[in-house]
Amino acid sequence: MTSLSVQSIFQRLSRYGRTLVIAVPLWWLIVFFLIPFGVVAKISFAEAVIARPPYSPLLEWMEDGGVAIKLFFENYVRLIEESLYIKAYWSSIKVAFVSTLISLLVAYPMAYYIARTNERRRNVLLMLIILPFWTSFLLRVYAWIGILKTNGVVNHILMSLGITSEPLVMMQTNFAVYVGIVYTYLPFMVLPLFTNLVKLDNSLLEASADLGANPVTTFFRVTLPLSVPGIIAGSMLVFIPVVGEFVIPALLGGPDTLMIGKVLWNEFFYNRDWPAASAVAIVMLILLVVPIMLLRNAQSASSEASS
Amino acid sequence: MASPQRISTGAKPWIEQSEEPFIRISNLTKKFGEFTAVDNISLDIYREELFCLLGGSGCGKSTLLRMLAGFETPTSGRIEIDGQDMAAVPAYARPTNMMFQSYALFPHMSVEKNVAYGLMRDGVARSEANDRVVEMLKLVQLDGFGKRKPDQLSGGQRQRVALARSLIKRPKLLLLDEPLGALDKKLREETQFELINIQETLGVTFIVVTHDQEEAMTLSSRIGVMDQGEIVQVGEPHEIYEFPQSRFVADFIGSVNMFEGRVTDDAENYVRIHSKEGDCDIHVSHGVSCSENQKMWLAVRPEKINISRNKPEGKYNIVKGTVDEIAYLGNLSIYRVKLESGKIVRVTKSNRFRRDEETISWDETVYLNWDDTAGVVLAQ
Repeated sequence: MTSLSVQSIFQRLSRYGRTLVIAVPLWWLIVFFLIPFGVVAKISFAEAVIARPPYSPLLEWMEDGGVAIKLFFENYVRLIEESLYIKAYWSSIKVAFVSTLISLLVAYPMAYYIARTNERRRNVLLMLIILPFWTSFLLRVYAWIGILKTNGVVNHILMSLGITSEPLVMMQTNFAVYVGIVYTYLPFMVLPLFTNLVKLDNSLLEASADLGANPVTTFFRVTLPLSVPGIIAGSMLVFIPVVGEFVIPALLGGPDTLMIGKVLWNEFFYNRDWPAASAVAIVMLILLVVPIMLLRNAQSASSEASS
Repeated sequence: MASPQRISTGAKPWIEQSEEPFIRISNLTKKFGEFTAVDNISLDIYREELFCLLGGSGCGKSTLLRMLAGFETPTSGRIEIDGQDMAAVPAYARPTNMMFQSYALFPHMSVEKNVAYGLMRDGVARSEANDRVVEMLKLVQLDGFGKRKPDQLSGGQRQRVALARSLIKRPKLLLLDEPLGALDKKLREETQFELINIQETLGVTFIVVTHDQEEAMTLSSRIGVMDQGEIVQVGEPHEIYEFPQSRFVADFIGSVNMFEGRVTDDAENYVRIHSKEGDCDIHVSHGVSCSENQKMWLAVRPEKINISRNKPEGKYNIVKGTVDEIAYLGNLSIYRVKLESGKIVRVTKSNRFRRDEETISWDETVYLNWDDTAGVVLAQ
């Protein structure tokens, strides 16, 4: 009897233990994601008022003791009606797409080389990829101002070499924004690609060569298709944060750099229109979540089919 | 299909020297830093041979195979295939194909696509390629599996896909790296005979790398035994087994009892050796090039030793001991007999009768004897 009860205590403990382990991240997500998200969603259905806080309450107590729920859809209607928002969304997605593509093209050869080189050099190179994270992100973006500005490093070199006679205008252009974004997000592309490529079985490449494929064909027929999961993971890690990126376009971009993060900031701090800013945030989230869900479904379907 | 001719019963080009060798390896050496993986190997292999490179792990057999395929560059020496020097030919342009130990099937492609890969790279028309894939899958008994992915197949099926993929281009030379290593015993035996059939049907030259001596014996027309980067003996399976040239080969292929001794009598048509270990005089009924008092070894296979309770007639080749261990394997029994010197001798006896009242049991005193032609005298 005693042994049985001891056993049942252990069983119960292990069941609680399991719940406990899951509970920590669960509560983290509830407290720091779900509740704030609910608050933002709530504000997006309010009306901007000059008050503190600067939006109308969701629930209002009626004089007869009842409760009225007031929902304003105006904020969302405005997002569709005013071309500024649609343009900003569109341009953000375009910037994110182009930066992701450039990052991929730059990161792939880097990741490939790191994955195929010997172990000692590999560790050094990986270190170098991670090293920029040791300094502040803001500082690194400011450094780019010094490099790209009219009397900056790049122009100085170009002119002293006689390649250009006048300084090039690079700061406050979309070019500077792309440089900043690709520079900042490159490690997020390199690392998932590296983890994928390092697992690539060398005998597959040998088999391809053995069957008559030259190195270029082997790359496109074997290496590239097998690295698709790495490409998807890296692209996600770059594309998603870049859509909402605010700091880089604000510091490096010019007046014609239109990105949704900047619009959101303006709504919030200049116009003090919290409901509009919240609506912008909610729509951005939906725009990103829908394709991610679709992709995830497609991935799990394909992995199910192959197992 | 015409009934194929087994080459080992027909022509033996390595004896008759009637043809040019198909593959000519001369003075081939491969070093990895300080380590010499392949040490000055010269070897001729003839058309339509099924040649086995046999050796333990790290003996250099896989490195030799990878140099033939073009995955490793020789440090020095020369490889010729069908009269053509391979030095400047990259792996993808060689007339060889390889079946990898891990099979190396492309996981993102179906069986059909895997098998067709080589044909596609050669620019074979799609319709012709399809026909050849269907034909090849039939040959390896995988018809109907074309649409599956490699991870939906069993180990044996994957092995067949790998074989089909490496054969589809009708290579002049097929290299097989431990082809049957991952299969269980029963499947391995079946597949060995299938491999031989396929090799005979297609008339392709095979070079097989294996550490499994039984596999080498079953498959090959000739075996090259490798040790520490060198080929220590080349010969037909029965030559390797019955006439090993060194203690290493005798010991590596099958099991063997080795009696160390010194030559006491060196005549033209017989030799006598006294063995302290065996506490016996050994008589060998043929001449051996040796000198008196030279240290020699007699290698006798366990199945060539007779075990009995009563002392056999004669003066030579008889040792006395007690039964230490008996292993009953069904078809035969293995006796480990301990001599007075402490040496253990292995004897196998086939179980010809279902019941044997006279069965020798543990701790019995027994006499072992063998024919004066049963053993091989080895000087090294």
